[in-house]
Formats: sequence, structure tokens, C-alpha cells
Amino acid sequence: MAKKQDRVIQSRIGALSVPPERVLHFPRGLIGFEQEREFTLVQIREDSPFVILQSMNDPRLGLMVADPYSFIQDYDVVVGEAERKILRIDNIRQVLVLVTVTIPPGRPQDTTLNLTGPVVINREDRVGLQVPQVDAKYPTHYRPGEPLEPAGKAQGQGGDAASGQDTQD
Amino acid sequence: MLILTRRPGESIHLGDRIKITVLGVQGKQIKIGLEVPQDVPVYREEVYLRVLEQNRLAMEADQQDVFAAAALWQKNKTE
Repeated sequence: MAKKQDRVIQSRIGALSVPPERVLHFPRGLIGFEQEREFTLVQIREDSPFVILQSMNDPRLGLMVADPYSFIQDYDVVVGEAERKILRIDNIRQVLVLVTVTIPPGRPQDTTLNLTGPVVINREDRVGLQVPQVDAKYPTHYRPGEPLEPAGKAQGQGGDAASGQDTQD
Repeated sequence: MLILTRRPGESIHLGDRIKITVLGVQGKQIKIGLEVPQDVPVYREEVYLRVLEQNRLAMEADQQDVFAAAALWQKNKTE
């Protein structure tokens, strides 16, 4: 067989040619889209922190995502042992973190970032996984530029107590 | 919905690979132990639904709005 070719896919911003080294494997898909296992990142503009996480197989399935560190310097993502294993992370330098973005129709200036369901990618091994954050330390709708307020604390102390702690043995 | 009654210490098997055990009951809280293969994700419902909704919204962003938002913010220059 000839050497691996670029794949031409339909994305939400038109046809794209994706080289094999830009295909990301999501062994669990994304939440709500478990069956989709192959994605790629599509740049919208060169200087923008926003990119599209595009399914290789479904043109409609392109999620608007963003580099959170362009907005928040100290965004801290908790990745459990099991997730680390799936992602084959052994070096923090391999890791790329993206968060999903909500744009209210017609109001791009009111764009918010969802800091509770980050997508973590091992860019060396090209493996990706969505890692919901259990403790509500960060808000679901963070407005770029605004100070980050600890979300959980705002609504009653220990609001998560009902869910209890997760343990593993 | 299938409804089963279990006592603390008793389990339910879902197929060959998944076992759910009621570990204990304390007032309104029920402690559940899950033995699940690594390829089966487990989420608390409220967390799962929240991320699901956010994914849907990220997918449904209007095309023009996507380009407009991308033009509004610049990448962190310190990268």
C-alpha cells in the first residue's frame, strides 16, 4: 500500500484535506457523541484561540472549542488515573486542553467558555478524551475577560456534599 | 425501568463486565460501588447532562457567529 494519504473530509466550514498526523482518536467519543471516534482540529483564524473540533466522519459534528489559557492563566484540569491511562499521558508537555464554547445566536460578543467539561488531548499520541470536572470549582459559562469567581462556593457552602466523594480502591 | 430491591452488601451484575454493589445506606445517602471496565465511562447524571448540553451548544453555534467570535479575541501572545 502507498504511504498514508491525506483524507478529504467535509467539515462545518467546508471541504478540508486532513493529513494522517492531524487525525485525533477519541476512544470514548465525546459525551453525547460516543460513536464518533475520529476528530481533527480546524483553525478558524490564525490568531484566534477558537478552533473547531471536527468529526472526521460527520460534517455536522463540529464543536466550537477554545484554548482556555488564552483567557485564564491558571485553569486547572483534574485528570484521574483511569483517564491518564486512556490518554497515555506521562508528560504534561504532551497535553493540550480545550474547552467547549457557547455563542448565543447573533451575539458573538456574549460568547462563554464551559470550564466544566474540558477536552484533553495527548498531542504526541493523538488521543483525546472529554474529562468532566466533578467538583464545581469552575463555571459552566465563563465570560472571557471577566474575573474568575469560584463557582461552587457562591451557592451555599458544601453544595456538592450530597454527591459525596468519589473514591477508588 | 427495571426495578430491583437490594440490601447493603448485595450486588447486581450488568452482563459479564459490570457489577454494582450497594455498599451502605445512611439516611438519604446511598453509597454505591461500581466495578466497571476501563472503556466504560461513569458519570454522575447532573455532570453528564451538563456536559452533554454544552457539547450540543458548541456544535450548534451559528456559522457567522463562529467567525465573528474568532475575530473578537486574540490568541494569548505569551504562548
